[in-house]
Amino acid sequence: MRDRHALIYWSGFTVILVLLIVAPLVLPEFWRRFLTEILIWGLLAMSSDLLIGYTGMVSFGHSAFFGIGMYGAAAALLSVSPPSLGLAMLYGLGSSAAVAAFVAYFSTRLRDIYFAITTLIFSQIFYVIIFTWTEMTGGENGLTFARPKLGLPGMEGLPFTSATLHWFVLALVTASYLILRRVTQSPFGMVLQSIRENETRTRAIGYPIERYKIVAVMLSGLFAGLAGVLYAVQNRFAAPDFVFFVVSGEVVIYNVVGGLGTLLGPIVGAGFFLLLREASSRFLTEYYLIPVGLIFIAMVIFLPQGLLGFMRRWINR
Amino acid sequence: MAGGVVLDVAAPADTRVLAPVLRTEDLILRFGGLTALNSVNFEVQRGEIRAIIGPNGAGKSSFFNCLTGVLRPSSGRILFNGDDITGLSTDRISRKGIARSYQITNILPNSSTLENVRIAAQSRRHGWNMLNHHRAYRDILDKAEAVLESVGLGGKEDELAANLSHGEQRNLEIGIALATEPQLLCLDEPTAGMSASETRDIVGLVRRIAENLTILIVEHDMQVVMELADRITVLNYGEILAEGTPAEIQQNARVLEVYLRT
Repeated sequence: MRDRHALIYWSGFTVILVLLIVAPLVLPEFWRRFLTEILIWGLLAMSSDLLIGYTGMVSFGHSAFFGIGMYGAAAALLSVSPPSLGLAMLYGLGSSAAVAAFVAYFSTRLRDIYFAITTLIFSQIFYVIIFTWTEMTGGENGLTFARPKLGLPGMEGLPFTSATLHWFVLALVTASYLILRRVTQSPFGMVLQSIRENETRTRAIGYPIERYKIVAVMLSGLFAGLAGVLYAVQNRFAAPDFVFFVVSGEVVIYNVVGGLGTLLGPIVGAGFFLLLREASSRFLTEYYLIPVGLIFIAMVIFLPQGLLGFMRRWINR
Repeated sequence: MAGGVVLDVAAPADTRVLAPVLRTEDLILRFGGLTALNSVNFEVQRGEIRAIIGPNGAGKSSFFNCLTGVLRPSSGRILFNGDDITGLSTDRISRKGIARSYQITNILPNSSTLENVRIAAQSRRHGWNMLNHHRAYRDILDKAEAVLESVGLGGKEDELAANLSHGEQRNLEIGIALATEPQLLCLDEPTAGMSASETRDIVGLVRRIAENLTILIVEHDMQVVMELADRITVLNYGEILAEGTPAEIQQNARVLEVYLRT
Protein backbone atom coordinates (compact mmCIF):
# COMPACT_ATOMS: atom_id res chain seq x y z
CA MET A 1 0.00 0.00 0.00
CA ARG A 2 2.67 2.44 1.08
CA ASP A 3 5.03 1.14 -1.62
CA ARG A 4 2.36 1.55 -4.26
CA HIS A 5 1.77 5.13 -3.17
CA ALA A 6 5.49 5.85 -3.35
CA LEU A 7 5.70 4.31 -6.83
CA ILE A 8 2.85 6.41 -8.21
CA TYR A 9 4.12 9.52 -6.51
CA TRP A 10 7.69 9.26 -7.77
CA SER A 11 6.60 8.24 -11.29
CA GLY A 12 4.43 11.33 -11.49
CA PHE A 13 7.23 13.42 -10.08
CA THR A 14 9.69 12.09 -12.67
CA VAL A 15 7.30 12.63 -15.59
CA ILE A 16 6.67 16.24 -14.64
CA LEU A 17 10.35 16.87 -14.01
CA VAL A 18 11.30 15.42 -17.41
CA LEU A 19 8.65 17.57 -19.11
CA LEU A 20 10.07 20.65 -17.38
CA ILE A 21 13.60 19.69 -18.41
CA VAL A 22 12.62 19.20 -22.05
CA ALA A 23 10.37 22.27 -22.18
CA PRO A 24 13.02 24.90 -23.08
CA LEU A 25 14.12 22.80 -26.05
CA VAL A 26 10.68 22.98 -27.64
CA LEU A 27 9.21 26.24 -26.37
CA PRO A 28 9.76 29.57 -28.14
CA GLU A 29 11.87 32.16 -26.34
CA PHE A 30 8.98 34.07 -24.74
CA TRP A 31 7.34 31.00 -23.23
CA ARG A 32 10.69 29.63 -22.15
CA ARG A 33 11.26 32.73 -20.05
CA PHE A 34 7.65 32.64 -18.90
CA LEU A 35 8.00 29.08 -17.64
CA THR A 36 11.17 29.95 -15.73
CA GLU A 37 9.34 32.86 -14.17
CA ILE A 38 6.47 30.60 -13.10
CA LEU A 39 9.00 28.37 -11.35
CA ILE A 40 10.48 31.33 -9.51
CA TRP A 41 7.12 32.68 -8.36
CA GLY A 42 6.15 29.10 -7.55
CA LEU A 43 9.19 28.80 -5.30
CA LEU A 44 8.19 32.00 -3.50
CA ALA A 45 4.65 30.71 -3.06
CA MET A 46 5.94 27.32 -1.90
CA SER A 47 8.11 28.98 0.75
CA SER A 48 5.06 30.83 1.98
CA ASP A 49 3.04 27.58 2.08
CA LEU A 50 5.32 26.34 4.85
CA LEU A 51 3.79 29.08 7.00
CA ILE A 52 0.24 29.39 5.63
CA GLY A 53 -0.50 25.78 4.81
CA TYR A 54 1.56 23.90 7.36
CA THR A 55 1.88 26.18 10.38
CA GLY A 56 -1.35 28.14 9.96
CA MET A 57 0.34 31.54 9.91
CA VAL A 58 -0.66 33.83 7.05
CA SER A 59 2.34 35.93 6.10
CA PHE A 60 1.98 39.17 4.21
CA GLY A 61 5.70 39.76 4.50
CA HIS A 62 7.03 37.48 1.82
CA SER A 63 7.56 40.36 -0.58
CA ALA A 64 10.16 41.64 1.92
CA PHE A 65 12.10 38.36 2.01
CA PHE A 66 11.85 38.10 -1.76
CA GLY A 67 12.93 41.71 -2.26
CA ILE A 68 15.79 41.50 0.22
CA GLY A 69 17.04 38.41 -1.63
CA MET A 70 16.88 40.43 -4.82
CA TYR A 71 18.75 43.41 -3.43
CA GLY A 72 21.27 41.16 -1.67
CA ALA A 73 22.06 39.53 -5.01
CA ALA A 74 22.20 42.98 -6.62
CA ALA A 75 24.71 44.19 -4.03
CA ALA A 76 26.97 41.22 -4.74
CA LEU A 77 26.67 41.54 -8.50
CA LEU A 78 27.41 45.27 -8.50
CA SER A 79 30.26 45.25 -6.01
CA VAL A 80 32.42 42.49 -7.43
CA SER A 81 33.83 42.31 -10.92
CA PRO A 82 33.37 39.99 -12.74
CA PRO A 83 29.95 39.30 -11.18
CA SER A 84 29.85 36.04 -9.29
CA LEU A 85 26.79 33.85 -9.08
CA GLY A 86 27.98 32.15 -5.91
CA LEU A 87 28.47 35.46 -4.15
CA ALA A 88 25.05 36.69 -5.33
CA MET A 89 23.46 33.59 -3.79
CA LEU A 90 25.44 34.01 -0.60
CA TYR A 91 24.56 37.70 -0.19
CA GLY A 92 20.92 37.17 -1.17
CA LEU A 93 20.32 34.19 1.09
CA GLY A 94 22.34 35.66 3.94
CA SER A 95 20.48 38.97 3.95
CA SER A 96 17.04 37.40 3.55
CA ALA A 97 17.79 34.95 6.36
CA ALA A 98 18.93 37.80 8.60
CA VAL A 99 15.82 39.85 7.82
CA ALA A 100 13.62 36.79 8.31
CA ALA A 101 15.19 36.16 11.71
CA PHE A 102 14.53 39.76 12.69
CA VAL A 103 10.92 39.73 11.48
CA ALA A 104 10.32 36.28 12.97
CA TYR A 105 11.52 37.30 16.39
CA PHE A 106 8.93 40.07 16.68
CA SER A 107 6.04 38.76 14.60
CA THR A 108 5.77 35.26 16.09
CA ARG A 109 4.71 36.68 19.42
CA LEU A 110 1.40 37.40 17.77
CA ARG A 111 -1.19 35.11 16.27
CA ASP A 112 -3.67 35.03 13.42
CA ILE A 113 -4.52 38.39 11.92
CA TYR A 114 -2.05 40.16 14.23
CA PHE A 115 0.78 38.07 12.86
CA ALA A 116 -0.34 38.83 9.30
CA ILE A 117 -0.51 42.56 10.00
CA THR A 118 2.90 42.59 11.69
CA THR A 119 4.55 40.88 8.73
CA LEU A 120 2.77 43.31 6.42
CA ILE A 121 4.06 46.27 8.42
CA PHE A 122 7.61 44.93 8.38
CA SER A 123 7.50 44.45 4.62
CA GLN A 124 6.25 48.03 4.19
CA ILE A 125 9.03 49.30 6.42
CA PHE A 126 11.58 47.59 4.19
CA TYR A 127 9.76 48.97 1.15
CA VAL A 128 10.04 52.51 2.47
CA ILE A 129 13.69 52.06 3.39
CA ILE A 130 14.53 50.71 -0.05
CA PHE A 131 12.41 53.31 -1.82
CA THR A 132 13.96 56.28 -0.03
CA TRP A 133 17.58 55.20 0.40
CA THR A 134 18.38 56.23 -3.15
CA GLU A 135 22.20 56.28 -3.07
CA MET A 136 22.27 52.69 -1.86
CA THR A 137 19.30 51.09 -3.57
CA GLY A 138 18.66 53.30 -6.56
CA GLY A 139 15.36 54.34 -4.99
CA GLU A 140 12.37 54.23 -7.27
CA ASN A 141 14.45 53.20 -10.29
CA GLY A 142 16.00 50.23 -8.59
CA LEU A 143 19.28 48.70 -9.66
CA THR A 144 20.32 47.12 -12.92
CA PHE A 145 23.30 44.86 -13.31
CA ALA A 146 24.87 42.30 -15.59
CA ARG A 147 23.99 38.64 -15.31
CA PRO A 148 26.80 36.56 -13.85
CA LYS A 149 28.21 33.50 -15.54
CA LEU A 150 26.82 30.12 -14.58
CA GLY A 151 29.71 29.54 -12.23
CA LEU A 152 29.02 26.00 -11.14
CA PRO A 153 31.97 23.79 -10.32
CA GLY A 154 33.00 21.96 -13.49
CA MET A 155 31.03 24.36 -15.70
CA GLU A 156 33.00 27.56 -15.17
CA GLY A 157 32.51 30.12 -17.83
CA LEU A 158 29.34 28.57 -19.18
CA PRO A 159 27.05 31.47 -20.13
CA PHE A 160 23.46 31.79 -18.98
CA THR A 161 21.17 31.34 -21.93
CA SER A 162 17.42 31.24 -21.42
CA ALA A 163 17.70 27.43 -21.54
CA THR A 164 20.60 27.00 -19.10
CA LEU A 165 18.99 29.56 -16.81
CA HIS A 166 15.79 27.54 -16.92
CA TRP A 167 17.63 24.36 -15.96
CA PHE A 168 19.51 26.15 -13.21
CA VAL A 169 16.25 27.53 -11.77
CA LEU A 170 14.53 24.17 -12.21
CA ALA A 171 17.32 22.39 -10.34
CA LEU A 172 17.11 24.79 -7.40
CA VAL A 173 13.30 24.79 -7.28
CA THR A 174 13.25 20.99 -7.41
CA ALA A 175 15.86 20.77 -4.66
CA SER A 176 13.89 23.31 -2.59
CA TYR A 177 10.73 21.27 -3.06
CA LEU A 178 12.43 18.05 -1.97
CA ILE A 179 13.94 19.77 1.06
CA LEU A 180 10.68 21.45 2.08
CA ARG A 181 8.78 18.21 1.52
CA ARG A 182 11.13 16.39 3.83
CA VAL A 183 10.95 19.19 6.39
CA THR A 184 7.16 19.06 6.41
CA GLN A 185 7.21 15.28 6.94
CA SER A 186 9.88 15.42 9.64
CA PRO A 187 9.17 15.48 13.36
CA PHE A 188 9.70 19.25 13.17
CA GLY A 189 7.18 19.56 10.35
CA MET A 190 4.65 17.50 12.28
CA VAL A 191 5.00 19.94 15.18
CA LEU A 192 4.24 22.82 12.81
CA GLN A 193 1.11 21.03 11.62
CA SER A 194 0.13 20.35 15.19
CA ILE A 195 0.47 24.08 15.91
CA ARG A 196 -1.82 24.75 12.95
CA GLU A 197 -4.37 22.26 14.27
CA ASN A 198 -4.35 23.26 17.91
CA GLU A 199 -1.83 25.69 19.31
CA THR A 200 -2.92 25.38 22.94
CA ARG A 201 -2.69 21.62 22.85
CA THR A 202 0.70 21.66 21.19
CA ARG A 203 2.05 23.92 23.90
CA ALA A 204 0.47 21.83 26.62
CA ILE A 205 2.26 18.67 25.50
CA GLY A 206 5.58 20.42 25.89
CA TYR A 207 6.52 22.22 22.68
CA PRO A 208 7.94 25.75 22.99
CA ILE A 209 5.84 26.86 20.05
CA GLU A 210 7.32 30.36 19.70
CA ARG A 211 10.69 28.82 18.92
CA TYR A 212 9.16 26.48 16.38
CA LYS A 213 7.40 29.39 14.74
CA ILE A 214 10.57 31.48 14.62
CA VAL A 215 12.46 28.68 12.90
CA ALA A 216 9.54 28.17 10.50
CA VAL A 217 9.50 31.85 9.53
CA MET A 218 13.29 31.84 9.08
CA LEU A 219 13.21 28.75 6.87
CA SER A 220 10.36 30.17 4.86
CA GLY A 221 12.15 33.50 4.51
CA LEU A 222 15.30 31.76 3.34
CA PHE A 223 13.51 30.02 0.46
CA ALA A 224 11.67 33.24 -0.38
CA GLY A 225 15.07 34.92 -0.52
CA LEU A 226 16.29 32.24 -2.90
CA ALA A 227 13.36 33.03 -5.18
CA GLY A 228 14.40 36.70 -5.02
CA VAL A 229 17.98 35.88 -6.01
CA LEU A 230 16.76 33.80 -8.95
CA TYR A 231 14.43 36.55 -10.08
CA ALA A 232 17.27 39.09 -9.92
CA VAL A 233 19.54 36.82 -11.96
CA GLN A 234 16.82 36.21 -14.53
CA ASN A 235 15.76 39.82 -14.98
CA ARG A 236 19.01 41.65 -14.22
CA PHE A 237 17.35 44.23 -12.05
CA ALA A 238 16.10 44.81 -8.52
CA ALA A 239 13.16 47.17 -8.03
CA PRO A 240 11.25 48.38 -4.97
CA ASP A 241 7.91 47.29 -6.53
CA PHE A 242 8.77 43.71 -5.61
CA VAL A 243 9.06 44.59 -1.93
CA PHE A 244 5.61 46.18 -1.90
CA PHE A 245 3.00 44.18 0.04
CA VAL A 246 0.83 43.66 -3.05
CA VAL A 247 3.37 41.02 -4.09
CA SER A 248 2.80 39.23 -0.76
CA GLY A 249 -0.92 39.33 -1.47
CA GLU A 250 -0.40 37.69 -4.83
CA VAL A 251 1.67 35.01 -3.15
CA VAL A 252 -1.20 34.29 -0.76
CA ILE A 253 -3.52 34.06 -3.80
CA TYR A 254 -1.18 31.52 -5.51
CA ASN A 255 -1.39 29.44 -2.34
CA VAL A 256 -5.16 29.59 -2.10
CA VAL A 257 -5.68 28.92 -5.81
CA GLY A 258 -3.19 26.06 -5.86
CA GLY A 259 -4.08 24.37 -2.60
CA LEU A 260 -2.70 25.12 0.86
CA GLY A 261 -0.44 22.64 2.54
CA THR A 262 0.64 20.78 -0.60
CA LEU A 263 3.86 22.62 -1.55
CA LEU A 264 3.18 21.69 -5.19
CA GLY A 265 -0.16 23.48 -5.23
CA PRO A 266 1.37 26.94 -4.85
CA ILE A 267 3.56 26.32 -7.93
CA VAL A 268 0.49 25.23 -9.89
CA GLY A 269 -1.37 28.23 -8.47
CA ALA A 270 1.39 30.59 -9.59
CA GLY A 271 1.34 29.04 -13.07
CA PHE A 272 -2.43 29.24 -13.30
CA PHE A 273 -2.56 32.82 -12.11
CA LEU A 274 0.30 34.08 -14.30
CA LEU A 275 -1.09 32.35 -17.40
CA LEU A 276 -4.53 33.71 -16.71
CA ARG A 277 -3.16 37.21 -16.34
CA GLU A 278 -1.06 36.87 -19.48
CA ALA A 279 -3.98 35.57 -21.52
CA SER A 280 -6.48 38.14 -20.35
CA SER A 281 -4.06 41.04 -20.72
CA ARG A 282 -3.60 40.11 -24.38
CA PHE A 283 -7.30 40.33 -25.13
CA LEU A 284 -8.57 42.89 -22.67
CA THR A 285 -5.56 45.21 -22.33
CA GLU A 286 -6.12 47.52 -19.35
CA TYR A 287 -9.21 45.70 -18.08
CA TYR A 288 -7.34 42.42 -17.75
CA LEU A 289 -7.70 42.24 -13.95
CA ILE A 290 -11.50 42.07 -14.11
CA PRO A 291 -11.74 38.50 -15.47
CA VAL A 292 -8.79 37.47 -13.28
CA GLY A 293 -10.66 38.74 -10.23
CA LEU A 294 -13.92 37.08 -11.26
CA ILE A 295 -12.25 33.74 -11.87
CA PHE A 296 -10.48 34.00 -8.56
CA ILE A 297 -13.76 34.65 -6.73
CA ALA A 298 -15.39 31.73 -8.52
CA MET A 299 -12.52 29.45 -7.55
CA VAL A 300 -12.68 30.40 -3.89
CA ILE A 301 -16.43 29.66 -3.90
CA PHE A 302 -16.45 26.47 -5.97
CA LEU A 303 -12.97 25.09 -5.32
CA PRO A 304 -12.11 26.28 -1.82
CA GLN A 305 -9.42 23.64 -1.42
CA GLY A 306 -7.55 24.92 -4.46
CA LEU A 307 -6.44 23.09 -7.59
CA LEU A 308 -4.44 20.42 -5.75
CA GLY A 309 -6.28 20.59 -2.43
CA PHE A 310 -8.11 17.33 -3.08
CA MET A 311 -4.71 15.59 -3.22
CA ARG A 312 -3.50 17.10 0.01
CA ARG A 313 -3.51 13.98 2.17
CA TRP A 314 -2.09 11.95 -0.66
CA ILE A 315 0.78 14.34 -1.34
CA ASN A 316 1.72 14.64 2.31
CA ARG A 317 2.02 10.96 3.05
CA MET B 1 -7.81 28.41 56.55
CA ALA B 2 -7.68 24.81 55.42
CA GLY B 3 -9.96 23.17 57.91
CA GLY B 4 -8.95 19.71 59.00
CA VAL B 5 -5.70 19.31 57.07
CA VAL B 6 -3.97 16.30 58.54
CA LEU B 7 -1.09 14.82 56.65
CA ASP B 8 -1.85 11.21 56.00
CA VAL B 9 1.64 9.99 56.81
CA ALA B 10 0.67 6.40 57.34
CA ALA B 11 -1.30 5.90 54.13
CA PRO B 12 0.74 4.04 51.51
CA ALA B 13 3.24 1.52 52.83
CA ASP B 14 5.59 2.43 50.01
CA THR B 15 8.95 3.72 51.18
CA ARG B 16 9.28 6.05 48.18
CA VAL B 17 6.85 8.34 49.90
CA LEU B 18 9.10 10.79 51.62
CA ALA B 19 8.42 14.14 50.05
CA PRO B 20 5.17 15.11 48.34
CA VAL B 21 5.35 15.07 44.57
CA LEU B 22 3.46 18.35 44.42
CA ARG B 23 3.14 21.07 47.00
CA THR B 24 1.72 24.56 46.89
CA GLU B 25 2.63 27.18 49.47
CA ASP B 26 0.23 30.05 50.14
CA LEU B 27 -0.92 30.04 46.54
CA ILE B 28 -2.93 33.15 45.75
CA LEU B 29 -4.52 34.02 42.41
CA ARG B 30 -6.38 37.27 41.92
CA PHE B 31 -8.28 38.54 38.92
CA GLY B 32 -8.58 42.25 39.67
CA GLY B 33 -10.74 42.42 42.78
CA LEU B 34 -11.72 38.75 42.69
CA THR B 35 -9.65 36.27 44.63
CA ALA B 36 -9.88 32.96 42.75
CA LEU B 37 -7.42 31.13 45.00
CA ASN B 38 -6.75 32.27 48.55
CA SER B 39 -3.68 30.93 50.36
CA VAL B 40 -3.98 27.40 49.11
CA ASN B 41 -1.57 25.04 50.89
CA PHE B 42 -1.84 21.74 49.17
CA GLU B 43 0.19 18.56 49.11
CA VAL B 44 -0.19 15.36 47.19
CA GLN B 45 1.88 12.23 47.73
CA ARG B 46 3.42 10.17 44.98
CA GLY B 47 1.11 7.47 43.69
CA GLU B 48 -2.00 9.04 45.15
CA ILE B 49 -5.29 9.68 43.37
CA ARG B 50 -6.53 12.98 44.70
CA ALA B 51 -9.90 14.39 43.81
CA ILE B 52 -10.59 18.10 43.97
CA ILE B 53 -14.24 18.96 44.35
CA GLY B 54 -16.23 22.05 45.09
CA PRO B 55 -19.12 24.13 43.80
CA ASN B 56 -18.86 25.98 40.48
CA GLY B 57 -16.48 28.90 40.78
CA ALA B 58 -14.67 27.35 43.74
CA GLY B 59 -11.33 27.71 41.95
CA LYS B 60 -10.77 24.15 40.74
CA SER B 61 -9.97 25.05 37.17
CA SER B 62 -7.96 28.07 38.27
CA PHE B 63 -5.93 25.75 40.47
CA PHE B 64 -5.24 23.43 37.52
CA ASN B 65 -4.38 26.41 35.36
CA CYS B 66 -1.83 27.58 37.93
CA LEU B 67 -0.28 24.12 38.20
CA THR B 68 0.07 23.78 34.44
CA GLY B 69 1.37 27.29 33.79
CA VAL B 70 -1.68 28.63 31.98
CA LEU B 71 -2.14 31.24 34.72
CA ARG B 72 0.60 32.80 36.78
CA PRO B 73 -0.24 32.92 40.49
CA SER B 74 -0.34 36.36 42.11
CA SER B 75 1.81 35.05 44.92
CA GLY B 76 2.88 31.83 46.58
CA ARG B 77 4.94 28.94 45.31
CA ILE B 78 4.34 25.67 43.49
CA LEU B 79 6.88 22.93 44.12
CA PHE B 80 7.04 19.86 41.93
CA ASN B 81 9.49 17.19 43.06
CA GLY B 82 11.00 19.90 45.21
CA ASP B 83 11.62 22.24 42.20
CA ASP B 84 10.00 25.62 42.16
CA ILE B 85 7.86 25.67 39.01
CA THR B 86 5.85 28.79 39.85
CA GLY B 87 5.21 30.89 36.75
CA LEU B 88 7.03 28.59 34.32
CA SER B 89 5.51 28.38 30.85
CA THR B 90 3.08 25.61 29.99
CA ASP B 91 5.55 23.79 27.75
CA ARG B 92 8.28 23.81 30.39
CA ILE B 93 5.93 22.50 33.04
CA SER B 94 4.89 19.76 30.65
CA ARG B 95 8.54 18.81 30.15
CA LYS B 96 8.98 18.71 33.93
CA GLY B 97 6.38 15.95 34.03
CA ILE B 98 2.93 17.44 34.63
CA ALA B 99 0.31 16.62 32.00
CA ARG B 100 -3.34 17.55 31.83
CA SER B 101 -6.51 16.69 30.07
CA TYR B 102 -9.08 19.36 29.37
CA GLN B 103 -12.64 19.82 30.51
CA ILE B 104 -13.61 20.64 26.92
CA THR B 105 -12.11 18.11 24.54
CA ASN B 106 -8.87 19.53 23.19
CA ILE B 107 -7.37 17.34 20.49
CA LEU B 108 -6.03 17.68 16.95
CA PRO B 109 -9.34 17.08 15.13
CA ASN B 110 -7.93 16.80 11.60
CA SER B 111 -5.14 14.41 12.47
CA SER B 112 -5.37 10.68 12.86
CA THR B 113 -5.86 9.19 16.29
CA LEU B 114 -2.33 7.83 16.11
CA GLU B 115 -0.85 11.22 15.19
CA ASN B 116 -2.58 12.82 18.18
CA VAL B 117 -0.61 10.66 20.60
CA ARG B 118 2.48 10.32 18.38
CA ILE B 119 3.07 14.07 18.41
CA ALA B 120 2.77 14.03 22.20
CA ALA B 121 5.21 11.13 22.50
CA GLN B 122 7.60 12.99 20.20
CA SER B 123 7.63 16.05 22.45
CA ARG B 124 10.38 14.56 24.61
CA ARG B 125 12.80 13.70 21.81
CA HIS B 126 13.45 14.26 18.10
CA GLY B 127 11.12 17.30 18.00
CA TRP B 128 13.67 19.48 16.18
CA ASN B 129 14.72 16.94 13.61
CA MET B 130 14.00 18.23 10.10
CA LEU B 131 15.77 15.69 7.96
CA ASN B 132 14.11 12.35 8.67
CA HIS B 133 10.58 11.24 8.01
CA HIS B 134 8.59 11.21 11.24
CA ARG B 135 7.66 7.57 10.68
CA ALA B 136 11.35 6.67 10.75
CA TYR B 137 11.27 6.90 14.54
CA ARG B 138 10.07 3.47 15.54
CA ASP B 139 10.45 4.19 19.27
CA ILE B 140 7.94 7.04 19.08
CA LEU B 141 5.48 5.04 17.01
CA ASP B 142 5.68 2.08 19.37
CA LYS B 143 5.08 4.33 22.33
CA ALA B 144 2.09 5.96 20.61
CA GLU B 145 0.58 2.61 19.68
CA ALA B 146 1.03 1.31 23.22
CA VAL B 147 -0.70 4.40 24.62
CA LEU B 148 -3.63 4.05 22.21
CA GLU B 149 -3.97 0.42 23.25
CA SER B 150 -3.96 1.38 26.93
CA VAL B 151 -6.76 3.93 26.53
CA GLY B 152 -8.87 1.47 24.56
CA LEU B 153 -8.33 2.98 21.13
CA GLY B 154 -6.23 0.17 19.70
CA GLY B 155 -7.36 -0.52 16.14
CA LYS B 156 -8.52 3.06 15.60
CA GLU B 157 -5.05 4.38 14.68
CA ASP B 158 -5.99 5.68 11.25
CA GLU B 159 -9.35 7.10 12.23
CA LEU B 160 -9.58 10.90 12.01
CA ALA B 161 -9.82 12.21 15.58
CA ALA B 162 -12.82 14.36 14.64
CA ASN B 163 -14.73 11.20 13.64
CA LEU B 164 -14.35 9.48 17.01
CA SER B 165 -17.33 9.37 19.36
CA HIS B 166 -17.39 11.81 22.26
CA GLY B 167 -16.37 9.08 24.69
CA GLU B 168 -13.50 7.98 22.48
CA GLN B 169 -12.32 11.56 22.16
CA ARG B 170 -12.27 11.85 25.95
CA ASN B 171 -10.10 8.73 26.07
CA LEU B 172 -7.85 10.15 23.37
CA GLU B 173 -7.57 13.30 25.47
CA ILE B 174 -6.16 11.19 28.30
CA GLY B 175 -3.98 9.27 25.84
CA ILE B 176 -2.36 12.51 24.63
CA ALA B 177 -1.52 13.42 28.21
CA LEU B 178 -0.16 9.93 28.95
CA ALA B 179 2.03 9.91 25.85
CA THR B 180 4.12 12.71 27.34
CA GLU B 181 5.11 10.25 30.09
CA PRO B 182 4.06 12.45 33.01
CA GLN B 183 4.63 11.86 36.70
CA LEU B 184 1.57 13.87 37.60
CA LEU B 185 -1.61 13.81 35.56
CA CYS B 186 -4.30 16.44 36.03
CA LEU B 187 -7.68 15.31 34.75
CA ASP B 188 -10.26 18.04 34.36
CA GLU B 189 -13.72 16.45 34.48
CA PRO B 190 -12.80 13.36 32.47
CA THR B 191 -16.36 12.00 32.49
CA ALA B 192 -18.04 15.22 31.34
CA GLY B 193 -20.84 14.43 28.92
CA MET B 194 -20.29 10.69 29.08
CA SER B 195 -22.82 7.90 29.24
CA ALA B 196 -22.96 5.64 32.29
CA SER B 197 -21.05 2.86 30.57
CA GLU B 198 -18.42 5.22 29.20
CA THR B 199 -18.02 6.59 32.72
CA ARG B 200 -17.40 3.05 33.98
CA ASP B 201 -14.69 2.66 31.35
CA ILE B 202 -13.00 5.89 32.40
CA VAL B 203 -13.01 4.83 36.05
CA GLY B 204 -11.35 1.56 35.06
CA LEU B 205 -8.85 3.43 32.88
CA VAL B 206 -7.90 5.89 35.62
CA ARG B 207 -7.42 2.98 38.04
CA ARG B 208 -5.10 1.22 35.61
CA ILE B 209 -2.95 4.22 34.81
CA ALA B 210 -2.79 5.26 38.47
CA GLU B 211 -0.46 2.38 39.16
CA ASN B 212 2.47 4.33 37.76
CA LEU B 213 1.65 7.95 38.40
CA THR B 214 0.03 10.50 40.63
CA ILE B 215 -3.38 11.76 39.59
CA LEU B 216 -5.27 14.92 40.39
CA ILE B 217 -8.85 14.77 39.25
CA VAL B 218 -11.52 17.44 39.16
CA GLU B 219 -14.88 15.75 38.90
CA HIS B 220 -18.52 16.50 39.53
CA ASP B 221 -19.76 12.92 39.51
CA MET B 222 -19.58 12.10 43.23
CA GLN B 223 -19.86 8.40 42.63
CA VAL B 224 -16.72 8.51 40.48
CA VAL B 225 -14.94 10.65 43.07
CA MET B 226 -15.78 8.42 46.00
CA GLU B 227 -14.81 5.34 44.07
CA LEU B 228 -11.48 6.56 42.73
CA ALA B 229 -10.00 9.01 45.19
CA ASP B 230 -7.56 8.08 47.91
CA ARG B 231 -8.13 11.51 49.37
CA ILE B 232 -10.37 14.43 48.53
CA THR B 233 -9.72 18.16 48.74
CA VAL B 234 -12.78 20.40 48.88
CA LEU B 235 -12.40 23.92 47.53
CA ASN B 236 -14.86 26.70 48.24
CA TYR B 237 -14.41 30.36 47.27
CA GLY B 238 -10.77 29.66 46.50
CA GLU B 239 -9.97 28.20 49.88
CA ILE B 240 -9.48 24.65 51.06
CA LEU B 241 -12.61 23.87 53.04
CA ALA B 242 -11.71 20.32 53.98
CA GLU B 243 -9.39 17.51 53.12
CA GLY B 244 -9.52 13.82 53.94
CA THR B 245 -10.49 10.35 52.83
CA PRO B 246 -13.79 9.88 51.00
CA ALA B 247 -15.38 8.58 54.18
CA GLU B 248 -14.23 11.60 56.17
CA ILE B 249 -15.40 14.04 53.52
CA GLN B 250 -18.82 12.44 53.30
CA GLN B 251 -19.28 13.08 56.99
CA ASN B 252 -17.79 16.52 57.17
CA ALA B 253 -20.52 18.91 58.28
CA ARG B 254 -19.11 21.94 56.48
CA VAL B 255 -18.71 20.07 53.22
CA LEU B 256 -22.26 18.80 53.47
CA GLU B 257 -23.46 22.31 54.03
CA VAL B 258 -21.77 24.00 51.07
CA TYR B 259 -21.59 21.26 48.54
CA LEU B 260 -22.61 17.68 48.99
CA ARG B 261 -26.10 18.30 50.31
CA THR B 262 -27.28 19.95 47.14
